Amino acid sequence: MQTLGEHKLPHFFHYPPYFTLQPVRETREKQIQLWKELILDYCRVQKIFVIGLEEDFPLFSNPAIERSLNHEAREAFLSAIVLDGRAEWMDKSHRQCLILWHRIKEWADIILHFVKENGLEDSVMTVEEIRTGVESRGTDIHGMDRGVLMRALKLLENKGKLAIFKGASTDDEGVKFSV
Amino acid sequence: MRRRPGIGGLQTAAAARDQYRLLGENVAKLRTDLMKEQLSTFRSQLEDFARKHKNDIRKNPAFRSQFHEMCAKVGVDPLASNKGFWAELLGIGDFYYELGVQIVDICLATRPINGGLINLEELCKILSQRRKGAREAVSEDDCLRAISKLKVLGSGFEVITVGKRKLVRSVPTELKKDHNEILELSQAQGFVTVEEVERRLSWSTGRATDALETLLDEGLAMIDDGHRDGKRRYWFPCVSSVSSFVASETL
Repeated sequence: MQTLGEHKLPHFFHYPPYFTLQPVRETREKQIQLWKELILDYCRVQKIFVIGLEEDFPLFSNPAIERSLNHEAREAFLSAIVLDGRAEWMDKSHRQCLILWHRIKEWADIILHFVKENGLEDSVMTVEEIRTGVESRGTDIHGMDRGVLMRALKLLENKGKLAIFKGASTDDEGVKFSV
Repeated sequence: MRRRPGIGGLQTAAAARDQYRLLGENVAKLRTDLMKEQLSTFRSQLEDFARKHKNDIRKNPAFRSQFHEMCAKVGVDPLASNKGFWAELLGIGDFYYELGVQIVDICLATRPINGGLINLEELCKILSQRRKGAREAVSEDDCLRAISKLKVLGSGFEVITVGKRKLVRSVPTELKKDHNEILELSQAQGFVTVEEVERRLSWSTGRATDALETLLDEGLAMIDDGHRDGKRRYWFPCVSSVSSFVASETL
């Protein structure tokens, strides 16, 4: 197996026809499934949250076999992930895709777990502290997309697990946990 | 015996004929009896052999293959029924049954990739990977035997030869001659172009395109439009080793 950077790649990535959207339904379904899994897995490991369709996302081409996914294929694969509920188009023209390798609800659970693990049940933290602080190091939360984090926090707020408030500076927001 | 004319002579001749006939039948019977006896001796020797070398037969594919050949010569089929002496002694029936089930599984799992055609070598490789923990190693010969038992299932499950490879077919659609030739051609690089098919097989464009499109529709081929020369390539997973990689990720 070759690696893209350090990511271990499945063998289909080195078989040229997989870079062309297949016309035959059964073959295409299998192709889409394989690409979906690869994209989600890669994003999870590399902590990638946004894929720009017209940008050089590493998985879109394999220089070793001189093949690249065309726009139609890229959109097809990402659309399939969106249909699964694991991604969202960020714009109507489908140029940017938000990848939810954890769904928002899963992020919320992870945050709750993190709070309990670190004895933060009644404490206050800023959103940035949650995202980049020492406590979250080694967890998926560390370095996560701020937009996604805010959505997960809002979900928890609706459940009464915490309260979001504006901080002293306009830069950051604070969170008071009441787990 | 002196020939004598007249009725007496005729009767003697008839009696002589009868005696020869009886003798002839006896000789034939003797030969058959002898053969039966030899066969029976051979069979019991084979049984002794099997008993003594039970472990080797189970563990060693090459040995097992030779054992089967010996059995075939004597007209014994250890796989004929799951019950009976052989199956009980060697438990071989179960082994091939188990293999058969695994082979069917693998063929079904890889069908979306290769359209129901997988090359034998690859199939055995996947099988070995799956059976890593098992005591018994599996050879291509074992696969072939298991597959021949699968034929009982009817539709599909046949081994066909294309060029230098053996392919296992697990779908009812038979390969037409034109398709066979294309598959053979594709073995060189794993793919063909319409142009290449026309040129190498001296076919019309229509004939080449029709055949390739049918193979595509049946899931045996995949298209590749990504080469910088702009020519569409038709790839055949069953002649490459793609199935094994995909299979090991799904099984």
